[in-house]
Amino acid sequence: MFGTFCAVNDVSLDIQKGEFLTLLGPSGSGKTTLLMMIAGFLDITSGDISLDSETLIGVPPEKRNFGMVFQGYALFPHMTVRDNIGYALSVRKTPKAEIDIRVEEMLELVQLQSFADRKPNQLSGGQQQRVALARALCFSPPVLLLDEPLGALDKKLRVEVQEQLKDIHRRVGTTFIYVTHDQEEALSMSDRVVIMRDGAIEQIGSPKELYEKPESKFSAGFLGKSNFLYLEDGTYALRPEKIDIAAEGAGAAPRMTGKVRSVTYFGSIQRVMVETDEAGELEVDVDNWRNPTSFRAGQNVDLMWEDHAAVMLQRSED
Amino acid sequence: MKPSLLASFNRAGAWVLLMFLVLPALIAIPVSLTPKRFLSMPKGEYSLRHFEKLFTSEEWMSSFGQSAIIALSTSLLATILGTLCAIGLWRVSSKYSEVVRAFLLLPLIIPQIISAMAFYRLWIPMGLLDSYLGLILAHTILATPMVLITVSASLANFDPKLEQASRNLGASNWVTVRRVILPSVRPGVLAGALFAFILSWDEIVVTLFISKYSVYTLPRRMWNGIRENTDPTVAAAAVVLIALTIIAFVVYAILSRRNAKVKTSL
Repeated sequence: MFGTFCAVNDVSLDIQKGEFLTLLGPSGSGKTTLLMMIAGFLDITSGDISLDSETLIGVPPEKRNFGMVFQGYALFPHMTVRDNIGYALSVRKTPKAEIDIRVEEMLELVQLQSFADRKPNQLSGGQQQRVALARALCFSPPVLLLDEPLGALDKKLRVEVQEQLKDIHRRVGTTFIYVTHDQEEALSMSDRVVIMRDGAIEQIGSPKELYEKPESKFSAGFLGKSNFLYLEDGTYALRPEKIDIAAEGAGAAPRMTGKVRSVTYFGSIQRVMVETDEAGELEVDVDNWRNPTSFRAGQNVDLMWEDHAAVMLQRSED
Repeated sequence: MKPSLLASFNRAGAWVLLMFLVLPALIAIPVSLTPKRFLSMPKGEYSLRHFEKLFTSEEWMSSFGQSAIIALSTSLLATILGTLCAIGLWRVSSKYSEVVRAFLLLPLIIPQIISAMAFYRLWIPMGLLDSYLGLILAHTILATPMVLITVSASLANFDPKLEQASRNLGASNWVTVRRVILPSVRPGVLAGALFAFILSWDEIVVTLFISKYSVYTLPRRMWNGIRENTDPTVAAAAVVLIALTIIAFVVYAILSRRNAKVKTSL
């Protein structure tokens, strides 16, 4: 066990050593607040934050030894890449020769050797992001806090940098606490994800657990897409790709029948919106390779799914 | 046709305004070149005798020196105090700090004649009347708000995340101020230092009240020169002052343009 903190709203969370933990939530859910509390920039009114069972309450940010990658990077504009990365060691009065060696290592880690003497404003967004990462890791902190580090990058670059980040996490073995509102980022990078809502934890689990076994409508709807079925015994979440669809009469043992509202083609899948009597409108993602049937609006269809495809969120109260 | 007419009207207006602002100061230039012994416009004949007198007169040269000492000391003190004040108020940044800021700006708002009386009353018992220290302190009190304003303006553009980043990386408050905040607000500090220098360099109201014999600044000597013997040396001194001011501003403009260039390449 690595540390425990209770914060925001009676929130309690254990973070394992070396894990990649993501705080995921919409804006205003308290994820950045939580991160700022861990970093020491926000005081907590009650409860405790501790590292290796030693409390961090009253420890100023500069004594906490947590690396942090800020939203927008916060690189020092008047310093070169080299000086930015070496800053943490230089304020710790590390001998210059040692700093130089360590900075070279970090430059190599983030593949920026040839940019060492540039100023941050002479770098692209992706390069700045890597400098911020190297700066935060240079003093070998036990924990690295990342506040939406990919928010400023365009989509294609983001996927690339996600891979690099995961790779760096594997190599340095530092605990990563990662804040994002992007569910894809959370799913693809994390060991565990904390879904936050209104300053409280909604659900914690591995990406797979969260996706396959959501415990609330919010979790099911925020992480991936979900249909909700309000049946007699309770509320169920049913992922769009877990529904099979066939033309009326062609499906074996249909659970529901309905009328196609609209069809949208996305290449690998087509998204079919079906109006049913029992559950209202359902979204069905059809794998175009496995099921090459073309559907059209107005058509009557059969819908099928396996028992365990629908996950019960809430049992009816009676 | 209409917009171009408006544009030329605007342009003419701008020139008139510029002349209105600048010409009265430039009148010193022809007057300083008069060959006569009293303040007058030269008629066909020009002479540098008043400049010669200015630069050979022990009194005038000593006043230049005294003003320089006082203005440089004022600039240094006011810059240190004003910068620290601005950073402190920026760090605290609550509604109380805004009240404190308003108080700190008072010396700039209160009519100088009132400040002058206050300094006079206070400096007598403290034995600071007619001394370098007395003038430097009085000028520093007047000039510090200038620095506070310019540095605060620079801090308004400063990303507070840079401060957090510095602390997060292990730097104490003081190291953060020295290595991150100060380099970022340098243009404001430089502008403040320049304004403080100029304020002290041409300050006359307070100076008249609290200096007498042993301290005799340049504005004071010019004041006396005009009042007592309409000596054209005053005009020569004025020309030298205008030249110095222009040089200072050109240097400042070059420096800040260089800063701006670094910034715009973002």
